[in-house]
Amino acid sequence: MKTLIEGAPSFAYLNVELEPGESIIAESDAMVSMDSAITMKAEFNGGFFSGVLKSLFGGESLFVANYTNNTNQIKRITLVQNTPGDMREIELNNSSLILQPGAYIASSLGVKLEVRWAGFRSWIAKEGLFKLEASGKGCLWYGGYGGIIYREVRGSYLVDTSHLIAYEPHLKIKLQLAGGLFSSFFGGEGIVTRIEGDGKIALQTRSVSGLSTWINPMF
Amino acid sequence: MEVKIQHGPANAAAQISLAAGQSFTAEAGAMIAMSGDMGIETTTHKKGKGGIGRALKRMVSGESFFLNHFTAGNKGGEVWVSATLPGDIMVYDLKQGEELVIQGGSYLCSEPGIEIDLSWQGMKSLFSGESIFWIKATGQGKILLNSFGAIYPVEIDEPYTVDTGHIVAYPSALNFRITKAGGSWISSFLGGEGLVMEFTGVGQIWCQSHNQVSFGKSLTSTLRPRKG
Repeated sequence: MKTLIEGAPSFAYLNVELEPGESIIAESDAMVSMDSAITMKAEFNGGFFSGVLKSLFGGESLFVANYTNNTNQIKRITLVQNTPGDMREIELNNSSLILQPGAYIASSLGVKLEVRWAGFRSWIAKEGLFKLEASGKGCLWYGGYGGIIYREVRGSYLVDTSHLIAYEPHLKIKLQLAGGLFSSFFGGEGIVTRIEGDGKIALQTRSVSGLSTWINPMF
Repeated sequence: MEVKIQHGPANAAAQISLAAGQSFTAEAGAMIAMSGDMGIETTTHKKGKGGIGRALKRMVSGESFFLNHFTAGNKGGEVWVSATLPGDIMVYDLKQGEELVIQGGSYLCSEPGIEIDLSWQGMKSLFSGESIFWIKATGQGKILLNSFGAIYPVEIDEPYTVDTGHIVAYPSALNFRITKAGGSWISSFLGGEGLVMEFTGVGQIWCQSHNQVSFGKSLTSTLRPRKG
């Protein structure tokens, strides 16, 4: 499988060349265009039970799509996320990564997708009730709204809610006020996400909830 | 007329330089800036011509009712045009006898030698996620198209599938039909793709990487209903 991210950083999209017999799993509605000979099949997102949970409470899609090249020639497919922004490829080697709702774009067959309970705290932080854990061996593609920033956390780090898109599973996520009561609510930051432990995180430079608050402000 | 695309692909704008007396036609609302002595004429069709019918049809296609015709003064001048959403602009050199079908909303501006008309693509357009009418460009000259996201061309010689909402333009020598993305209808809808367009024939099509409707859906679910 040959892949290439083009259009980055503003409008990253993923071009995939599938060899005969190869498949790629993609978020539902991620397909932009493809050779018509590629077969598409819907699968449960992280198994039936977690798929249903995720769809009911997590606002995520119940299904993911499996695209397979059943011909004997190379076939092309182009995938994209809903928001304009950048995209990253990460190689999982029996490691795992937690993705926030909306960040997942595609993965190769060796990557296992599981839905985990993220808790009400995460929901208050506008990060969703559920989180997606990708593990196993293979390639994973995820994206964000705007640019993507990597940070190596040592000890603790604060992130504005809804800007976190991916983190390593051993990191702990907590909520707290950005500053004192006054600066938290009048300084425009409100509640922030506190990340504790040692590991890598990925942030997006824009957030959809930020845009919607700008379009219809609370006050 | 000379065209330079600046600040692409994210925030593309077209800088159009005109010689004395030269003119071009743009979608209403596309102009950002222009020389002080540039003449503007607003009509519903070609420069100096009207016609409510065509204008109404253009409105149905997702374009504006009026077209603006810019004409440079005797020193020549420039006009900057751009689209509403962030995205790219492409220039297409239309040759005599060629016919380009453009998704309603993707048309930005064109040289006077280009004839813009509406094209009815049949009932299938109702399901394509695009407007019922498409824009048909004939004649000779430059035509500028805009997109939400990047524009990429695809050479087609066997059936090729494009998700609805992602097509920018295609030559009329190609045909499309509305079909399902997966092996079965159930799979197509469960997989989130639903209906797609399948192009057949030999030629080049242009797709946009992003889709206003998908972005809009992610956004509107986070908006609060208006009170009162």
